[in-house]
This record gives sequence, C-alpha cells and structure tokens, in this order.
Amino acid sequence: MVLETLFGSRARLRLLKFLFRNYPNGYTVSEITKHLQEDRNIVKKEIENFIQIGLLVRGSKAGKKIIEQ
Amino acid sequence: MVKAKHKKTKVKKRKRVSLARPRRKTKRPTRRVTKPAKHASGVGAPRYVLNRDFQFIQELRDLILKSSPAEKSEIAERLQRIGRVKLAVISGIFLNKENPETLATDLFIVADYIDRRKFQVFIKYLEAETGGEVRFVIMEKEEFQYRLSMFDRFVRVLLEGPHEKLINRLGV
Repeated sequence: MVLETLFGSRARLRLLKFLFRNYPNGYTVSEITKHLQEDRNIVKKEIENFIQIGLLVRGSKAGKKIIEQ
Repeated sequence: MVKAKHKKTKVKKRKRVSLARPRRKTKRPTRRVTKPAKHASGVGAPRYVLNRDFQFIQELRDLILKSSPAEKSEIAERLQRIGRVKLAVISGIFLNKENPETLATDLFIVADYIDRRKFQVFIKYLEAETGGEVRFVIMEKEEFQYRLSMFDRFVRVLLEGPHEKLINRLGV
C-alpha cells in the first residue's frame, strides 16, 4: 500500500516491479499487459511516460545489448 | 427413383444460391480485423527495457526490490476464498528480496479442498503483484502430516528456513 500510494497507481507500481524483477529482458506492450492484468491503454500510457523521462528505452530481444533510441 | 433425383437437383440449386451470397459478405470484414492484429500479437512490436543509465535507476531498484512484493494481509484474505486452506506459508520471493533463488518454494499450501479456477485467478494476481513467477506447492493434510512425521526434507527446509505463516489451523 505504501509504494502504491507513493507511485500514484497500482498499474505503475506493477509495471516497475515487473521491469525490475525481469531486468535485462525487453517486453512488448502485449506481454506486459498480459502479465500485469491491467488495462492495455493504461499500461501503454505508463510506458510512454517512462520513455519520456528516460527510464525506459526501446530494446532488442531478451538478454541482448540495449539499443539506445 | 425419378422422384428422388428430381428432388436432389432442386436442393443443390438452392444451396448454390444461399451459400454464395453470405460468404462474400462475411469474408471482407474478417480480413480487415486480422491485419492490424499481426502487430499487436507481438511479432514486430517494439520491446521495452529499463534504461540502466537512468539517473535514479539504483535508488529506484532498491526501493522496488526491497519492498514486500505483495500485501500479506491481502494474500491471506484471498487464500481464505479459494477453498478450505489449513496452512499457508510464504517464503522465497515474498520474504528474501535480495536473493530469491535460495529457496525452491514461494508459496506452500495445505488444504482439504481448492477451487482450481479460483486458484488460477489467485496465482495470476500474485504474479501480477510480484512481477515474476510464483513457485507453489499444494498438499493434502494427510500427506503433509506424514511428511512432517518422517522429517521430510522439503517440509523441514521450508519450515526451518525464513518463512511466514499466513494461515495456520494445524498448529505447526
């Protein structure tokens, strides 16, 4: 509850948990949505927000080197 | 014979007419639906990954990974609803945040009866909350008590290691 309040939404916190726990891997919006059990549009919006602040980048497939945008 | 032959041709004729028209009508919209789905299915869709050069990446990581991955009270509450649960023990990713690979089990349940469908929903919820896979074991009460009495390694390691009992109606 603490982090949920701190981050402002359940979807945002779930997205962060998912990304950090599976760190070097890249995921598509569909994969993330399926795992998080959240609305696709909300997930998409959060991803876009994270890209804008530089937390997320478009990456290649699992395990490979990250390609900067 | 003649009568039957006559009937057959009549039916065939009708068939041709009735089949040809609706087919055309239904084919076109389905094509339109499947085309954009190619991208959404994940074949060519872009993948997203954390940027390790983000200025607060280390602090954020510590904050997220060191916190409890799911609310214990909510897990307990949801467990009550999936069946007659006698004992529920959490371990692994729920407690050991730094190195979750040390234990083989994250969730251990002893129950008389479990609703499979509800349990599946419950596991999906847990996986969404934790952001990873949840390794679980379900056992009947008799098996658990037998394993306990013979000092079974799996049960002993679990109950002697770091763990937390959410439901305990067996007095273990």
